Amino acid sequence: MAELKHEPKIAAFLCRWCAYAGADLAGTNRLAYPPNMIPIRVPCSGRVEPAWVIEALRSGADGVLIGGCHPGDCHYVSGNYKARRRVELLRDVLAGLGVNPARVKLVWVSASEGVRFAQVVRDYVEEIRGLGPNRGEFGVPEEVDDRAGRIAQAVEQAVNHG
Amino acid sequence: MAKPKIAMYWTGGCGGCDVSPLEVGEAIVDVLSQVEIAFWPALMDAKRADVEALPAGGIDVALINGALRTEDNVEMVRLLREKSKLVVAYGACAHLGGIIGLGNLHSAQSLVSTALGPGWHAGSPSFSANGDAPPPLTAGVVPLADVIAVDYVVPGCPPPAQLIGLFFQTLLGGEMPSPGHVFAEEKALCDQCPREKEDRRLEKFVRPHEMEPDPDRCLLDQGIVCMGPVTRGGCEAACPALGMPCTGCVGPTRKAGDLAGGMISALASLVRAGDEGEDAFAREDEVLAGLVDPVGTLYKYALATTWKRRETGGEDA
Amino acid sequence: MAQPRIGVFVCHCGRNIAGTVDVEGVTEEASRIPGVVLSTHYDYMCSDPGQEMVARAIREHRLNGVVVAACSPGMHEETFRHAAQAAGLNPYLVEMANIREQCSWVHRGAAATEKASRILATVVEKVRGNLPLEPSTMGHSTKCLVIGGGVAGIQAALDVANAGYEVLLVERSPSIGGRMAQLSETFPTLDCSQCILTPKMVEVDRHPNIRVLANSKIEEVSGFVGNWDVRIRKGATYVDPDKCNLCGDCVEACPVRVPHEFEEGLTERAGIYIPFPQAIPSSYTLDVQSCLGLKPLRCSECAKACEAGAINYDMQDELLEEEVGAIVVATGYETLPKAAMAEYGYGEIADVISGLEYERMASASGPTQGEIRCPSDGRVPKEVVFIQCSGSRDPELYKPYCSKICCMYTAKHALLYRHSVPDGQAYVFYIDIRAGGKGYEEFVQRVMEEERILYLRGKVAKVFQDGDKVMVWGADTLTGRRVEVAADLVVLAQAVVPSQGVVDLARKLRVSVDEHGFLKEAHPKLRPLEALAAGVFLAGAAQGPKDIPEAVGQGSGAAAKALMLLSSPELVHSPEIAEVAEHLCSACGICAPQCPYEAITVEDTAVVNEMLCEGCGTCVAACPSGAMNLRNLADSQVLAMLHAALKEHEEAEVLGG
Repeated sequence: MAELKHEPKIAAFLCRWCAYAGADLAGTNRLAYPPNMIPIRVPCSGRVEPAWVIEALRSGADGVLIGGCHPGDCHYVSGNYKARRRVELLRDVLAGLGVNPARVKLVWVSASEGVRFAQVVRDYVEEIRGLGPNRGEFGVPEEVDDRAGRIAQAVEQAVNHG
Repeated sequence: MAKPKIAMYWTGGCGGCDVSPLEVGEAIVDVLSQVEIAFWPALMDAKRADVEALPAGGIDVALINGALRTEDNVEMVRLLREKSKLVVAYGACAHLGGIIGLGNLHSAQSLVSTALGPGWHAGSPSFSANGDAPPPLTAGVVPLADVIAVDYVVPGCPPPAQLIGLFFQTLLGGEMPSPGHVFAEEKALCDQCPREKEDRRLEKFVRPHEMEPDPDRCLLDQGIVCMGPVTRGGCEAACPALGMPCTGCVGPTRKAGDLAGGMISALASLVRAGDEGEDAFAREDEVLAGLVDPVGTLYKYALATTWKRRETGGEDA
Repeated sequence: MAQPRIGVFVCHCGRNIAGTVDVEGVTEEASRIPGVVLSTHYDYMCSDPGQEMVARAIREHRLNGVVVAACSPGMHEETFRHAAQAAGLNPYLVEMANIREQCSWVHRGAAATEKASRILATVVEKVRGNLPLEPSTMGHSTKCLVIGGGVAGIQAALDVANAGYEVLLVERSPSIGGRMAQLSETFPTLDCSQCILTPKMVEVDRHPNIRVLANSKIEEVSGFVGNWDVRIRKGATYVDPDKCNLCGDCVEACPVRVPHEFEEGLTERAGIYIPFPQAIPSSYTLDVQSCLGLKPLRCSECAKACEAGAINYDMQDELLEEEVGAIVVATGYETLPKAAMAEYGYGEIADVISGLEYERMASASGPTQGEIRCPSDGRVPKEVVFIQCSGSRDPELYKPYCSKICCMYTAKHALLYRHSVPDGQAYVFYIDIRAGGKGYEEFVQRVMEEERILYLRGKVAKVFQDGDKVMVWGADTLTGRRVEVAADLVVLAQAVVPSQGVVDLARKLRVSVDEHGFLKEAHPKLRPLEALAAGVFLAGAAQGPKDIPEAVGQGSGAAAKALMLLSSPELVHSPEIAEVAEHLCSACGICAPQCPYEAITVEDTAVVNEMLCEGCGTCVAACPSGAMNLRNLADSQVLAMLHAALKEHEEAEVLGG
């Protein structure tokens, strides 16, 4: 089947105090950006659960964007710091699963950064376009999956040391 | 009431579940006297044809352990479903995919090549260069409920005696809960855990073999990844009570969702490296990077519940 | 929600939306979503006819959910929630789908319509899971606790009391007045500090709504906003204030002499004393620390001398239990202590003093009656060096921050010196001059130009005793020249630091402090007077270095915040907050430390205090077992929203397999 031109689908969780308001400002200023991102408004990036991101990636999202407040600016003091750590650990897990961690991205965008918001979306859409569609693929890539070799090596080592 | 006819069947798994009913001790004699064993290959000789010969509903309860890994597994559980009034996913593999489910990190072909050497083809029809055929593997491991309707779950790896006892007691008592019930606690394991929770902050990940944990303090507070907070209680916190972390075999609580997702969030929330803030980011990341084998730790039993394989893998000849 | 009956209202917003998005197409697409029983569109939904359309539809179609696809919720969420409420629908069942700011204004063509439909579909899913909610309400105490009797606390107490509410003003020293009572003149007007402060102190004393508890400490605080239970230890003064007639005979009789705190140790006081003549409460205090001994009694000279019989050695500390609704913390500041500042000779060289010591000397009521003298031998200093930023703006050794008031008071000190010793020479070492404030810059310019004070830009390298002189070596970085002054007196503008014990107090109040011990505000820009703990307000230098007008302004501001709380008939709090399903909670306790508001306590299960939770949902995300939920943003809602956002259209079904 001929591959249709792939349009990335991106789900975004935007903090209502900063990134969501920044997106509103981008709108007020009529700053065009690609329509690939569907926003979901959350009270704080600290509300975003890693399980949501996993579900989004399983449900056909090519990328997940999380917009939180700049360090020091969280409306709830420290929700953004928690979000940051959760995303960091989630990315480690995704990498271990063989899912490109770039498919989830946490960005800081303030309510006054309409220009930045538009640019962040433009950049992320391009980045995800570059990764190609998420077909739900995961796991150790075939070309590097030399389990037999590694097991043989381990056995050999064990025998030599034993 | 006539004795319920039960079946016990072992698909892709280690077989521990198949012998686990013995865990209940002397009570097994009582149980056995009150049931009729219709089909239990490990216990008594019976062939597939014997099951096929049964009428629909000829089995009252089929306890199926093991994940689904081969096409034969899939066929057999479909057959058992057809013949059984109730199907129970018994043990972590049938419930969640189990440790077998970690195989989903690799293609079926890669697993066959690793196990049997080159020249074997995993998919259907399976074949090899010398004319033998391995059992045709499915594209990936899936838990039982992905293929047939499952009425109940007796979870665990293998199910702990308390939960096996609870199941048979309920079954023989005649009042079964509504379908979908998991025979374990609603609350997470921490509810049953004797350890004291204090600090609720994680400054470093420590693997169980790297320290002798304080016997009274919560293992998480000591840096050991314990899946207790996300895992259903029911085992009386058997592992944590002995100084080993819970690895999550009983499966997630009803509303936990993805086992790893919930635990990623909890662990990362607890990680602290001094005061929170931009200055601490690098140190926090260092702490987080200290989690060895995140996938194997957080998805030990439930990988195949969330992550499905669609293809067997590259053609091998 | 029972059987969902959701109404969808798509707004054209004139051409703002309809010019880009196919509004009719979006309306039709929405009508196909299960549970949507009405999907319609209109030119301006926010107009009166538009709102009426929503209200009528709620009644006619018995809607139990409403989605208005229009502008950002920031614009009109309130509008439509009110309209729905008036029509009998719980306002929390109304949501906005933002298809203007985040769609029609930034996208074009078919893609804009497609995205509008997806955004709308996600919000329909949210509304499907929303529950009708009612704000939580709770009664509260109408009494205000003010901690700290400096000028900020005094102002807060007076403002609250004048509005008709009861105030408890707790001060740990024997008198209210704070730092301002110690000062000589105030910059830039050179008002006499005590002259403008003492009338306020008297007003506090006489105010029927204010109860002053001096010599008192906060022992324990429990409860939360509106309903704090506070235990206060009122220290025994061993003098009955009703009997004491301030004759002072006891002081003469007392054999003990210790450094006088109010005079910054420049003089001594007896073991029984009044800190300064205008002290409030107006009574002597027996300082049990320096007294020769009460139990067993070892001296009793003061009691023998007291004709009024006011002294009672058997007096006990009183423990007061008070219920208060709001708390103002105004615990003020002190300056970096001598022990911490050895390099400028402070604490070792007698003629190196701090700005506060200088204030006492310059004060007409001070130990030298306003004469500037060298502490070593009492001579009039002919050359005085003022060193600014002593311990401030010094991230390596001391405090990285600017203490804010020193530039101004040093200018004032230099001016006072020139007025006191007209033929004397004053030098000021400074890094920059920071004179932001009404009339401040003019004041500094006047000091520099008219008073012939030598301002030297640079840091002092060394201060050491040389005979009866204090040698000050430094550099003038503007000329690049080395400067050496043989000074008679050196005055250090010591860094402003939080009062001792504030960290302990903050812990009791469950409010945070920053790395320097200053109390942390809820938001540095938008909520500077509130602590994160609801119902606790901050005033004055406890929150950071401040001058008098700022401290007074904050006192009034904190009072206004407290009054908002005290005057409301009941506390009303948003219901869109976290909740715990107790039958699922294992009390693992992971949630509690996530909460910046200390709203979660964990016993048999976690419990969320509905008055304290702000609804951020950080605890909900942290909860591994799913026992916690954020009302109207449950996991199940978000997952349904995600599926709606990412739904494959049939024709695009090329993947999968």
